[in-house]
Amino acid sequence: MSTLTSPTSSSTPSTSFPFPSIYSFPPFFTRQPNSQTWTSQLSLWSSLILAYCRYNRIWRIDLNTAIEWDLFNNRDISRSLKLETCREILDSMVKKGDAEWVSGSGSNPSKNTSAIIYWRRPEEWANIIADWIDSTGQKNAILTLYEIAEGDLSYSQDFRGIDATILRKALDVLIRRGQAQIMKSADGEEAGVKFFGSQ
Amino acid sequence: MTMRRGVGLAAFDNHQRTAQQYSDLGSTFLQTHISELTDQLLTFQAALKKFAQSHADEIRSDPVFRSEFVKMCSAIGVDPLASSRANKKGSFWAELLGSDVNDFFFELAVRIIEICRRTRDENGGLMLVEDVKQQINSLPGRPPVSQEDIVRAVDTLAPLGHGFGIVRLANKDFIRSVPQELSRDQAVAIEATQALGYISVPILRDNLNWETARCIAVLDDLVASGLVWVDEQARPKEYWTPSWIRQ
Repeated sequence: MSTLTSPTSSSTPSTSFPFPSIYSFPPFFTRQPNSQTWTSQLSLWSSLILAYCRYNRIWRIDLNTAIEWDLFNNRDISRSLKLETCREILDSMVKKGDAEWVSGSGSNPSKNTSAIIYWRRPEEWANIIADWIDSTGQKNAILTLYEIAEGDLSYSQDFRGIDATILRKALDVLIRRGQAQIMKSADGEEAGVKFFGSQ
Repeated sequence: MTMRRGVGLAAFDNHQRTAQQYSDLGSTFLQTHISELTDQLLTFQAALKKFAQSHADEIRSDPVFRSEFVKMCSAIGVDPLASSRANKKGSFWAELLGSDVNDFFFELAVRIIEICRRTRDENGGLMLVEDVKQQINSLPGRPPVSQEDIVRAVDTLAPLGHGFGIVRLANKDFIRSVPQELSRDQAVAIEATQALGYISVPILRDNLNWETARCIAVLDDLVASGLVWVDEQARPKEYWTPSWIRQ
C-alpha cells in the first residue's frame, strides 16, 4: 500500500489570507500578564490559527519552522510571537481538542514541538468521507488510504491531501460506527478500507 | 366702622355664610372643572395610545423617530420606561403606550448585557458604546439601533445594581459593566489612550506632568484591571486600549 506524503509544514504558506484586525494590534504578540486578558488572547490566537490552517490547508504545525510564518510575524508592525508563547497557545488548543501533539517529536520528549491541527475534528472528517462515499457510489468499494486522499474522485474534496494520521483517526470513527472495515490481504498486511456506506 | 364690615354677631354670621357660599361655589366650580379635566384626560389618553400603536413599527425601526417620541413623552412628563417588566401590569403609561417602547429597550438592555459579558475578558469591562452598537447592528434581521438608544437602555440598568453605567471619556461614551468605578488617575490615563491608542510612562509623564512613580502605578493598575493590553516589544513598553482593536 502506498504511503501518503503529508505536505511538509516547513514550506511557508503563500498568503492572501485575510487577517482579522487583532493581527494588527501590537500587544497581540505579547503574552499578556493579566490572566483574564490572556484568556481572551488565547481564544483569539486559537481561532486565528485554526482559520489560517484551514485556509492554507495546513495539517501540522512544527513549532521550529512555523515560528517563521507570517501568521506569527506581522512585518507591517514589526511584532513577532515568541516560541514559548506559541507553545503555550498550542498546549491550550490541545487541551480543547483542536490540536494534538505528535508524540516523540523533538529531541526532548517533554518539549513538544509538532502538533496536528484539527481545523476539522476527526468526527467531522468521518462524516464528510462517508457522504463522499455515498455520493460517488463507492459503497462496498475497497479503497487504499492513498486513493481516498489523492485519487481522482477526491480532487475537489475538502479532505484532498489530508494528513495520514488525521485520515486514520477519521476512519477509526467510521469503523467504530460500523460504516467501514479494514481489509487485510492474505499475508495479514493492510490492503485497504471497505466502506458500507451510511444508512 | 363701615357697614360692610358688619359688627357684632350679625356680622359674624354674615361672614360665615359668605365663606360657605364661596366654598360651595368653589366646590361646584371644582367639580365641573374636574369632570372637564377627566374628559380631556381620557381623550388625551386615547389619542396617545392610538398614536403609539399606529406608530409602533416606526418606534421599533427608526432610531430618529424613536428618539423624538421619547423626548415628546419626557416633555409632557411621561416616562415610557417607567414600568419594570417584572410586574406585568406595569405603570399606567407602559400600558397606555403599549409594551412596544418598553420591550424595545428591555430587549436592547439584554443584548447589551450579553455583549459586555462576552467581551469582558478582552476589555476589562469597559467598552465603547460605538463598538457595542456595531456588534448589535451587524446581526441581520433587526432594525438598527443608535448610540442614544444604547445609552438609554444602559441608564435603565443602572438602578438595578448590576454595575452597569455610562462613562464619558475623551468625548466618547463607554459602557462600564463591572462594579469597580475608575479612579481619577485611571480615567485620565484611559482618556490619554484615545489619542494614539496607547500610553507609556514617558507619554504620561510628559503630557500630564506626573512623576514616574505615579505613571508606573496607574499603568500597573490598568493592567491589573484588565483595561489595557501590554506591548513588551515596544521600547518603552506601550499600554494599549482594547477599544483600538477594531479601529
